[in-house]
Formats: sequence, structure tokens, C-alpha cells
Amino acid sequence: MRRFWRSLVLFISVFGLLFVVIAPFYWIFSSSVKRNQEIIARIPTFFPKSFTIQHYQNLLASSDFPKYLMNSTIVALLTMIFTVVITVMAAYAIYRLKFPGHKFLQRVILVTYAFPTILLLIPIYMMLSATTPKLIDTPWALVIVNVTFAAPFAVWMLQAFFKSIPLELEEAAALDGAGRIQTMIKVFLPLAAPGIASIAIYAFIFSWTEYMYASVLIISDKYRTLPVGLAGIIGQYQVDWGLLLAGATITTLPVLILFSIVGRSFVQGLTAGAVK
Amino acid sequence: MFWRHNRQDDSPPIEFFEDAHARVKHERYSLTEPTPPQRKRRRRLSRKQTDSLLGLLLVAPLVLWLTAAILYPLFSAIRLSFLDTGIIGTGGKFIGLENYQFILSSPDFWKALGRSLVWVVGNAVVQTLAAFAAALILMQSFPGQGVARIWIILSWIIPTVVVVIIWRWLLGTSGGIVNYLLVSLGILDSPVGFFSTARSAFASVVFINSWRWFPLMTVILLAAMQGIPQELYEAAAVDGATSSKKFTNITLPALQPVLFVLGLVGTLWSINVFDIIWLTTGGGPSSATMTLPVFIYDMAFKGYRLSRAAAASVVMGMLLLVFVYLFNRFMSPPPETD
Repeated sequence: MRRFWRSLVLFISVFGLLFVVIAPFYWIFSSSVKRNQEIIARIPTFFPKSFTIQHYQNLLASSDFPKYLMNSTIVALLTMIFTVVITVMAAYAIYRLKFPGHKFLQRVILVTYAFPTILLLIPIYMMLSATTPKLIDTPWALVIVNVTFAAPFAVWMLQAFFKSIPLELEEAAALDGAGRIQTMIKVFLPLAAPGIASIAIYAFIFSWTEYMYASVLIISDKYRTLPVGLAGIIGQYQVDWGLLLAGATITTLPVLILFSIVGRSFVQGLTAGAVK
Repeated sequence: MFWRHNRQDDSPPIEFFEDAHARVKHERYSLTEPTPPQRKRRRRLSRKQTDSLLGLLLVAPLVLWLTAAILYPLFSAIRLSFLDTGIIGTGGKFIGLENYQFILSSPDFWKALGRSLVWVVGNAVVQTLAAFAAALILMQSFPGQGVARIWIILSWIIPTVVVVIIWRWLLGTSGGIVNYLLVSLGILDSPVGFFSTARSAFASVVFINSWRWFPLMTVILLAAMQGIPQELYEAAAVDGATSSKKFTNITLPALQPVLFVLGLVGTLWSINVFDIIWLTTGGGPSSATMTLPVFIYDMAFKGYRLSRAAAASVVMGMLLLVFVYLFNRFMSPPPETD
């Protein structure tokens, strides 16, 4: 009997937790295929009674959404490439090669990943307006900012993965006469692949989500990214909920797909550094 | 903790002797014939030296990047705070401490600071409770536990604008499910506008932000709890300890280092939150949710007072430095002995 109550309590709490995290997503997905009258009906329907892809059609055919989607993708991919190249090199150096000052640098990285980004908003805005050619109002402005704020956390996440690769493997390669760089590329990096994939996706998601800098550094509609574009729809006097919910659904999808690929190692990298 | 070092990586002693040997040999040679042994020396010493060189080379792009994009702007923010720049390209005259005088004597700044404090404390309380509850649930074994431990992070990784859309929709007055449920359960007489009064708007934003952030804390706590040796709990069970005793006497002390890091980093992350507040309430109603980041953003890009906003950022940065110092000084867990 006691066991029964125990499992019942466990079942209810697990269900409650999942409900809190997942139900809101179900709610926007399911509402995005409802007709307008049903969306704002006084009595909400848990299962859609009407079904329409009207909102998705409107979004993709007669709004600026595809343009924002394109811009966000370009910025996120560039952010990902730069972050991966820079941080993998740096993390290899910091955790594997004992150059003078590597410990100091390790601490600097720790400080920068908690750095409040709002403090740099104004000076970075000024700095990018003053460059020749002007970087402000180009996708590059966002790439620069996103790499800056994603990189320290990425280096830190790589630590856990890099430390789990035994040194002996590299030493063996060195004995066989392989040079450092050769060892790094042929032996080390393939073993670190899950970690590298995790930070690549971290960088992509970071960029995909970033709103504050994108709202200030991009002025013309041509280069606007998804978060700022969607925020524009929220800000309208008459909110078109169908359109907005469809937009939210499409914006969330890439994140879900990417996360389902690397979820496990992503969470591992996220937690390992903090716990050790 | 973070900077604990892997002892293995320190150079093996054999190499050191080889180095010394080479140096002696080199010195002996160099008296007579400097050039050829020089090349030889470079090759003999190579392992350690090329490692250092390669290390500096590999780390250089990141260091240069962060210097250009963090350190340089940091100093230019300080410089800007002494000028009278309004919008970009105007002003630029040196006006000394005038901006600081303005900020420090502005009641709006102090109110924003106060709201930021309430914001940080409110978020810390809600998130800590939610994260502990979630972590304790996920520690139990149940079917699908492995998947749940990963996907719990979901609300942290989706774009903040989507978080805002979700909750503005759920908490809305027309078609909002929360109002509907509260009314049909008889808790409310009629739908309320969650974002329309000062208190409920602030509480709602704290709730939304906590919903986004508590999963991160959960997975970190969970990982730390899994690292606690099981024998401690078994021994306590033999002594007849209750679950709550085990929690306060074993779990909490073991989590101290992690809680310290979460307290420090979490506070810095939480005080920096801008987009959730800005997109949900825009700082309203009548500034009720205007925390420091919203205040700075609003002043710079809605009020076009770049220099004043820069001064406000510098003051905020200083206050955070003081916080980090004090937190380190008084809250850091006793050093590990191993």
C-alpha cells in the first residue's frame, strides 16, 4: 500500500513538471492551426475544432517573415562557424598546451561569460557606427556581437569534453612521429566531435534567440532578424494572434530539431563545468 | 573547482632533463661555433617551446576578438560617459561629471535600481524553489527519466521572443487559457489583465522569466546531486534518518560549491535580463517593470541620451563589481581539502 502511494505521488509530480514545461508549447502549436474565431473564443478549446493552415500561408506568402527567417539563418550560421573555429583553437590551447598565462586566461574566460551584456550595448553601438565601412545595419554587426558573447561560454563548455579525452592517445601519436597540429586534427578533434557539435549548436541557438543587440544594430528592414520581426508583430495595435502563433511555431522548430540531435551531450557540457 | 588543474598535463620530468642536457651541450658548443648547434638546440627543445608558441598562436584570435569587442568598448563607455552625446554624431563635448550627477540625482535611476534588486531576489527565490523541486523529482527513477532529464531544458533554449508570445497568449484577457481556468474554477470572478496593474505585471514577468531560467538551474543541480556518493544516504538510512533530514544534512552541504557558483553567475545573468521584460511589458505599466537594463536601453534608444545612458551603465557595472567582491568575500564555501 505504501508503495502504491509513493508511485502515485511520483506520477503526479512528474506529470506536473512535464505539464509546466511542455503544455505551453502544445498550446501555441495547437492554437496556430485554429481558425481566427476559435483562437479568440471566450471558451478555449483544448483540441482544435477547426483546422486551417491559413496562418502559415499568410506568414510565408504575404509577410516579411521569410526574409527574417533567411536573415536569422545567415547570421546564426556565420556565428556558428566563427565561434567554433575560434573557440576550439583557443580551448585546445588553454586545456592542452601549457603556454605562459593559460591559467590567467582561463579565469578571464570565466569572468566574461557572466558579463552583463547590457553594459556594452551603447559603446558597441557607437563603435560599429564609427567603422569604415560601416558595420552597423549589416549582418556582420550581429555576427560580431553574437560570437563575442557566445565564445566564452563555449570555451567553458569545451573544457569538460576536452578533459575527458585521455592524454595518452596524443602522446602515442607523438611517439609515432606525428606533429602537434597533425595530432590535434587527426586524433584529438574527431574524439572531441560531440563537444564541438554541442557548442556549434549552442552558438547557433544563441544567435537565433538574440534580441537586444539585433533591435539596435539593425536599422533597415532588409536585414531584420526573426526575434525583432516577431516583436514587431506583437507591438501592433491589433495583434494578429494566428499569424503570431504560427510565427512562434516556425521559429521554435529549428531549435527543437538541432537540440534533438545533440541534446544529451549539450546538457552534459552545460553541467560538467559547473559541477566539477 | 573550475580552475583546478589536471596534474597529468604538467610536463613529464624526463623532458626536463633532456632540456637541461641540451642546454649544457649547447653552451659548450657555443663558445666555439654558434650557428649549427643553435638550430640543433631549437629542435631539441622543441616539444615544450613549440607547444607554448602554438598555444599562443591558437589562442590569439579569441583574445584579440574579446579585446576588440569587450575591453575596448568597456573603456569607450567610460569615455562616452564624460561627454554630452545625445544621438549618434551629435555633441561630443567634454562635460566632466555632469552625466553622473544627473544619473545619481535622478529618482528614476534609484527606482530602477530598487526594482532590479526586487527582480533579482524574486527570481532567485522562485527559481531556486522550482529548480530544487524539479531536480528532486528527476532524481527518482521512473520510465522515461533519461529523456525527461534532457528535455527539461527546453524552455531555456527557445528564443525569448517565443517565450514572450507564449505567455502573453496564455495570460491574455481574450482567449487566454489561464484566465479561463481561474474563472471556471471560481478563483476569479472575471478575467484580469495580468499586465495592467503594477504589482501583477511585475509578478507576471518574474514568473515568465523564472519559467525560462529554472530548467538551467535544474540540470546543474541534478548533475551535482548525482555526484553525491550513494553510501552517504545508505549510511544515514541505517541510522534511521528521514528524507528531510537527509536533504538538509547530506544534500545541501554537498551542493554548497554549486550553489555558490549559481548564486554568483545567476545573479549576474538575472540582473542583465532585458528582452523578456521589454517585450512583455515594455517597462510598464507606468514604469512598474523598468529595471536597470530597461532604464538604460530606454534612455539610450528611446530618449536619445547616449552619454547619460553610458554613465548609468558605468554605475551599474561598478555596483556589480562591489557585489561580486562581497559575494566572493562572504559567501564562498570553505576551500576543498583534497
